Amino acid sequence: MRKYLFILKATLMESLQYVLNILLGFITFFMLLFVFMNLWEYIYSDSVNLISGYTKEQMIWYVILTEMIWFSCRNPTLSFQISNDIKSGSIAYSINKPYHYIAFIIAKHLGEIAIKSLMFMVAGLVIGYCFLGAFPVIHLYQLPAIILSFLFGILINAFLKMSISVLSFWIEDSTPFHWIYDKMIIVLGIMFPVEVFPLWAQPMIRFTPIFVVTYGPAKLIIDYSNSMALQVLVSQLIYFIISLSLLLFIYQRGVKKLNVNGG
Amino acid sequence: MDAIVVNQLSKTFRVKVKDKGLKGSLKSILKPNYRTIQAVDNISFRVEEGEILAFIGPNGAGKSTTIKMLTGILYPDEGSTSVMGINPTAKRKQLSYQIGTVFGQKEQLWMHLTPYDNFKFFGAIYDLKEEEAEARIAELKQVFELEEFINTPVRNLSLGQRIRCEIVVSLIHRPKILFLDEPTIGLDPVVKENIRTLIKKMNREYKTTIFLTSHDVGDIEKLCKRIIIVNHGSIVLDDSMENLKYHYLNRKIVEVKLRDAMDMTEEDGITVIKSKGCNLKLEVDTTKKNIADALKLIDADNILDINISNVPLENIITEIYKENRQTKA
Repeated sequence: MRKYLFILKATLMESLQYVLNILLGFITFFMLLFVFMNLWEYIYSDSVNLISGYTKEQMIWYVILTEMIWFSCRNPTLSFQISNDIKSGSIAYSINKPYHYIAFIIAKHLGEIAIKSLMFMVAGLVIGYCFLGAFPVIHLYQLPAIILSFLFGILINAFLKMSISVLSFWIEDSTPFHWIYDKMIIVLGIMFPVEVFPLWAQPMIRFTPIFVVTYGPAKLIIDYSNSMALQVLVSQLIYFIISLSLLLFIYQRGVKKLNVNGG
Repeated sequence: MDAIVVNQLSKTFRVKVKDKGLKGSLKSILKPNYRTIQAVDNISFRVEEGEILAFIGPNGAGKSTTIKMLTGILYPDEGSTSVMGINPTAKRKQLSYQIGTVFGQKEQLWMHLTPYDNFKFFGAIYDLKEEEAEARIAELKQVFELEEFINTPVRNLSLGQRIRCEIVVSLIHRPKILFLDEPTIGLDPVVKENIRTLIKKMNREYKTTIFLTSHDVGDIEKLCKRIIIVNHGSIVLDDSMENLKYHYLNRKIVEVKLRDAMDMTEEDGITVIKSKGCNLKLEVDTTKKNIADALKLIDADNILDINISNVPLENIITEIYKENRQTKA
């Protein structure tokens, strides 16, 4: 475990060199927030108090929180680095070191997003406060479930993105699959909460990664209930196990494939 | 004790073959066609502990595949390997603590960290205790003369300094065997010499077995006592450097500067390599004609300067590659 903490620390030290790059990423973050905050402001101005059970404040905080999660988790290491390592054969030089490649990438990912997440969190909270004049109310007893749900969300997203990337053992380019996954999260998981979608579509959406990656953690902050916390955490646990098993399964099969293509 | 034992090792790859053009691309989707390549073909050798071995061959000869099988990255189709008594494919992780690898064209250092932070990082990767890592870094810093730039980010180092750090990183866990793949590629002659001296020093001080692949004859000539040449997946020569040179030393290069130009006719045992104006370059096979007899063919009064040397190792190796290609053909 110590070695993975060292990987995390080394990445964290390295990511401090890229603070300016992170700041450039804020441009899209602000633009999206600006559009959606004004959109919801406009919709709610039509003397409506609740839309799909959400107040204006809850709806805007939902968009801010899900965007915060998504922008924090975006990391080329999960997509391009793994794909490039596989395609160029560089992965061969990692797998003969005394660590597990998958655990190495996860530690690296967490180190890379640590600073970024903190910056997006501060920026999101400041914008939300300036726009709405108050923070969502969170009680101390709710914190463990909320923190756990965020951590689960980050890890599940990483496992799913990595599962797509390790497909590079078989396919030339995994980018289209990343594109589909990313757009699914952005359209169905960031812009609107699940309840906004038609009733027939909601059960299906609840089974997608959206529920465990973005919707669940954000929902626990804006509208906490014990039953919802339980539902989110259990779903996340199931997703965590399945996505990690899937990733390890594909990776193990892929490494054997590398043995065929290597040299 | 043998550090490496390779026994009848073979490895094949299946490569997709595609016909030309769009039609070929479409056809390969519906009915893919594969070709089998014999990358390594039934090779056997042993490397003793503390030995410096040159494992060379032209591109595509099977060097890299062999190294990858020895380091546990690739699984052999047939045969067996044992590295420090460990089966690389069965115990890759256990083996990683015993070996170090340096690939001249592939950096393992983290570019934004300093060499010191990199060494600490790799120390942790190889489970070295804090104080153990510190002591090792201090020791290697002295041996490899890193004092001047140990706290400069790797991205700001020169290539020579970076390669030195790459070697140190691969030695941090005191490996018994070091695999060096083109360690001096892209370096200037002075830095190359410096790296070679350090490799020799490392072999002498730590008794590290060195498995070297390089296209640079200087590396091979100055470092190795034994040479294995592979081509088309097979070993074409496994001999001591001394024997190799001795075997080919019967051929001499004679370079003569003449007062007046002359026409030199080839004879049995004498090959004219170059004849331009007053400069003449001959290769003399001393088993057929001795040097004195060869020189008698030139008027002594016409000779301004003369230089007799051995055939360069580079030419010897190229010849062995070519001989093997012709035999295969």
